[in-house]
Amino acid sequence: MKTYLGIDVGSVTTKLALLDQDNQLITANYLHTQGKPIAVIQEGLKQIERQMPPNAEICGVATTGSARYLAGVIMGADLVKNEITTQAIATMHYIPNVRTVIEIGGQDSKIIIIRDGIVTDFGMNTVCAAGTGSFLDHQASRLNVGIEEFGQRALKSKMPVRIAGRCTVFAESDMIHKQQMGHQTEDILYGLCQALARNYLNNVALGKEIQPPVVFQGGVAFNQGMVKALEENLNTQIIVPPHHEVLGAIGAALLVHEETDINGNKTQFRGFSTSEAKYHTSAFECKACPNQCEIIQLSLNGKVLARWGGRCDLWERTATSHKDL
Amino acid sequence: MRVGIPHAGNIYIPLRTIFKELGTELVVPPPSTRRTLDLGVRYAPEGTCLPFKLTLGNLIEACELGADSVLQAGGIGICRLSYYAKVQKQILHDLGYDIEMLTFDVSQNKLVGLLQLIKRVSNNSPWSKIISAFHFGLAKLAALDNIEKVIHKVRAVELEKGTANKIFKESIKAIDELSEHAALKKITTEYIEKLGQMAKDDRADPLKVGIIGEIFVVLDPFSNMDLEVELGKLGVEVKRSLFFSQWTKFSLFLNSLGIDEWKRVHKAAMPYLKRDVGGDGWESVGEKVLHAKEYDGIIHVAPFTCMPETVAQNIMPSTKEDIPVLTILCDEQMAKPGMLTRLEAFVDLLKFRRRRPKLTSGTRGNRENLSWH
Repeated sequence: MKTYLGIDVGSVTTKLALLDQDNQLITANYLHTQGKPIAVIQEGLKQIERQMPPNAEICGVATTGSARYLAGVIMGADLVKNEITTQAIATMHYIPNVRTVIEIGGQDSKIIIIRDGIVTDFGMNTVCAAGTGSFLDHQASRLNVGIEEFGQRALKSKMPVRIAGRCTVFAESDMIHKQQMGHQTEDILYGLCQALARNYLNNVALGKEIQPPVVFQGGVAFNQGMVKALEENLNTQIIVPPHHEVLGAIGAALLVHEETDINGNKTQFRGFSTSEAKYHTSAFECKACPNQCEIIQLSLNGKVLARWGGRCDLWERTATSHKDL
Repeated sequence: MRVGIPHAGNIYIPLRTIFKELGTELVVPPPSTRRTLDLGVRYAPEGTCLPFKLTLGNLIEACELGADSVLQAGGIGICRLSYYAKVQKQILHDLGYDIEMLTFDVSQNKLVGLLQLIKRVSNNSPWSKIISAFHFGLAKLAALDNIEKVIHKVRAVELEKGTANKIFKESIKAIDELSEHAALKKITTEYIEKLGQMAKDDRADPLKVGIIGEIFVVLDPFSNMDLEVELGKLGVEVKRSLFFSQWTKFSLFLNSLGIDEWKRVHKAAMPYLKRDVGGDGWESVGEKVLHAKEYDGIIHVAPFTCMPETVAQNIMPSTKEDIPVLTILCDEQMAKPGMLTRLEAFVDLLKFRRRRPKLTSGTRGNRENLSWH
């Protein structure tokens, strides 16, 4: 059986998805990156190997997310694609008539506007992480609420408090103030959801024409409180699609499937032995000019696979094909 | 006199030529680097724009190399550029550099003012010598820009990525070092031929992306993080109408004869913006309107906090001429990976759009303006 593997290595979580030749999801994994992308990619590969049907063969690998280049070199990816495109492709696969995609992940949030099946506009936060998963995670643990029960508890709120969501620092001090005033934890939790929904719509989505169907995905879409807050704010139904937390990986797999079908190329995948290989990264400061770029070097068995991080091409070198090893 | 200058793309080359011909010492600071920017950020007012910070860093580095006077553009009514020279002079004095600020007025009396300035710093050289040096300097500028126009096309379709850029760098060096005006034409032709002979993908029909916005960040690769090189790597042909040689040709000469290169652009902007808003804001709106049908997409580059371009950015979505626009705001916080993600996504968007060019359901321009939040 032919299968296609997509890997989305984000700042907070790493997602893997395996599709069959009919683009049906065989298995998906959701792991915490914990600042160690290489180790987590290897762990994810091991899990996929265990979950794969015995007759399955990997015919294409694609990477996406902020560590897509690193992951691409390690895996021997056939395709390296930005996360805006992969998210859009996967969403259209499940919800073909989608017109607006709201995606909130660990460190970033995006909006993708789709009309008649093509992406016509997108936006992405850069200046501020307010309203992303990491902040919710942090606040949940501060309130002693597990991130898994955050949404359910927020829905119990009867009198949500108003929290300043413009900036995480202000939001946090505002929340502490409301706690000390004696507000219910549920009301603070839902107040936080409302603040983050407002913040998202006023920043990332500013000036974008949000039309239904509106799809909400990414890790934060697990949070029922956020879904409700967005629905109240936009006055429309919010759809959380199936596999919403791994859509980036699914989109990557869909794209590599299409591409290998068109060009007929054999996969460059380095194989599951990659999960046992000893990768080594090191960094050094380039002295060629006063830019003093920090160059990151990835090597396997003492052989340099790739270098990146420079402003110029002086150190760039990639060897993604198996033969070069 | 030892005259220090700020960097802005390749502008140091004509200046170096003019000064060398006249025997005046020019202090060209090292190319802009992280250190230059750090210096500028440290001593500039926090909310000011990237060109101010970067050129301040250049001037500090020129002072470190012993410049006793510095050259900066100025004038009235343009944008913040009108106070660059005054504020930078004050900052340099506060840092203990007792320099003279030589201001080149880019708003009025441009040609005469510039020639008079050159006469003064060249210790009263005869006019004939000044004119000939000036002519040579501008010819070099035009030659570089002519080569760059070819580079824009070649980068998109070259088979071995990076070759065009290598030839471009060689040509910049050769033209910079050239001391014979008579040989300039030959050298330029040689490089253009070299680019013509490169191995190219002849069947490629590259996406065409217009680059518009504020002139400094558009023309300074350090400021826009090599935007045009990155687009070339993605197989995109760059189209732009801003070039320093074009600016000098019109602003110094033809404008005074009543020929305005921007007339067409301003006319195109008229339904949406009826007046100059400082800087290049009016032109940005006009260029979007004018090129909506010609190009696949437009990248609008502007310094963060730049008012003229912010005005333009907010008007652009409402034009009925429909073309995707990606706005990139440049400042010292900008990180290259973030920019690359957006460029890649933008190029994907344009590719999908080309595959299915007919959008139904009355898609209007306002859905197609992307921004770097």
